Amino acid sequence: MVHIWPIGGGKGGSGKSFLASSMGRLLAKSGKKTLLIDLDLGAANLHTMVNVPYPEKCFSDFVINKIKVLEDTVLETPFPNLFLISGAHDNLDIANLPYDKKKKALKAIAKLNYEYILLDLGAGTAFNTLDFFLASRNGIFITTPEPTSIENVYRLIRAIYLRRIRHYFTAADFKALEKKVKQFLDTDSFNKPEHIVSVVKKEYPEKYELIKKDFHSFQFKLILNQLHKQDNPALGGQICKIIKKHLGFSVDFAGNIAYDEHVHDAICQRLCFLDRYPHTRAANDLRELNRKMSSSFGEQLLINYL
Amino acid sequence: MEKDFAQLNYYEILDIEPNATALEIRGAYNTALQMYQADSLVSYSFFSQEERSRILGLLEKAYFTLINETQREKYDHELTEMGIISIKEKGSAFKRDPVNIFDINRQKDNSAMLKNYNAELKMKVSENQRINEILSRPDISGADLKTIRNELGVAIEKIHQETKIRLDYLNYIEEDEAKKLPAAVFLKGFVKAYLRSLYIEPADEISARYMSGLTRKN
Repeated sequence: MVHIWPIGGGKGGSGKSFLASSMGRLLAKSGKKTLLIDLDLGAANLHTMVNVPYPEKCFSDFVINKIKVLEDTVLETPFPNLFLISGAHDNLDIANLPYDKKKKALKAIAKLNYEYILLDLGAGTAFNTLDFFLASRNGIFITTPEPTSIENVYRLIRAIYLRRIRHYFTAADFKALEKKVKQFLDTDSFNKPEHIVSVVKKEYPEKYELIKKDFHSFQFKLILNQLHKQDNPALGGQICKIIKKHLGFSVDFAGNIAYDEHVHDAICQRLCFLDRYPHTRAANDLRELNRKMSSSFGEQLLINYL
Repeated sequence: MEKDFAQLNYYEILDIEPNATALEIRGAYNTALQMYQADSLVSYSFFSQEERSRILGLLEKAYFTLINETQREKYDHELTEMGIISIKEKGSAFKRDPVNIFDINRQKDNSAMLKNYNAELKMKVSENQRINEILSRPDISGADLKTIRNELGVAIEKIHQETKIRLDYLNYIEEDEAKKLPAAVFLKGFVKAYLRSLYIEPADEISARYMSGLTRKN
């Protein structure tokens, strides 16, 4: 059974690729066959993080049908058990992946034969990012303790929430719902999926039950990256509490990763941070996270909306 | 998806049990303020301005109702009437009275102590017979230090992190590799720091014993 962990964070520079490469490295080290897929379409650099500077194949070869089977785009990395689908030479227009291509890619990803597949997603809340994030119920949000980053992660969470609700409606029904929301509440409320749900509850009770059940089955995680000494270590827990209380679905706080100058050094040297600086606080935090997460992720429920 | 914030009862708003003490109510209000205040990082951009002021208003109302005993009783009565909380839930409040500090029969509060990692380590040191046996020997070797560390279940990397002593030196000390050890002045300090990080006292005296053992061997 394959575990798919999409990693998203809303803001650029919050550590998505760093987390993906470090987690991948740790999983591979513990003997799990692990695949990293760079889905930061249009701004890929995961290959640099795992030291594959000149990838000869990439994800878009599959999208444009140059390579027929997704499995054939997989590259080996210098680390045993760790594999990569790079996005380095993606076509410049790949960022606007059409819906049918995306569907095809998601289906192909689900069929790959690996124990763990980590999806490194791009910043922002484009439909591509949201759909890839929803490919699995074990999505991981990552943010830094700064207002800019937290603002973006809340936006991403709400966008994913809305996107998921959208999956339950046909285009016409959704238009009608949109109208009703505007009628019942003020105009701004369409940006707040929690308000939309209250309208769904009134107007489409049977769909509301489905959506409710669906959201209870998600096991999202939140990781706080680059926590400085002076930052509040309880911040992550409080963020999860607010999401639970006001959006009504649970995001588990997985842990903090300490801020560490050495990360920058390791990336500049193009070495794996965990190998270069194994005894730093950030490295300890990563190992701790990996241990906690690989034991706590339960059953994998996959891409059920395709 | 669940109840709207405005529909929660005051206990749910503050995230406390219906039998919370005044101290707990005050603590919960403080925590809530930290989360919802305008300059809070936690809820930054999560709410619009009106939403935030509405929430803060609710919090204040909840706090001032519950902290005032007569008003709280009235509010509890309303909730019980509506069947939201039961008298049983309230009833257990009697057990939660403060404990008399002069009560000699009072149980020692172990739970709070165990939370504290350092205190736990100290306790382990004093309770572990093997460690006490080693510490009572006239000579202490690097291997003994390693045994003590393993008994306490502390990773060598943790000592490295705390004391900032190079990891290879720590290893040489534990493996008793006499040739590779640093100069005696440094070594004594290293061993002292090592012991202190494990809360083993008196570190001065034990490190002196380690040093004398080492000189005798060579």
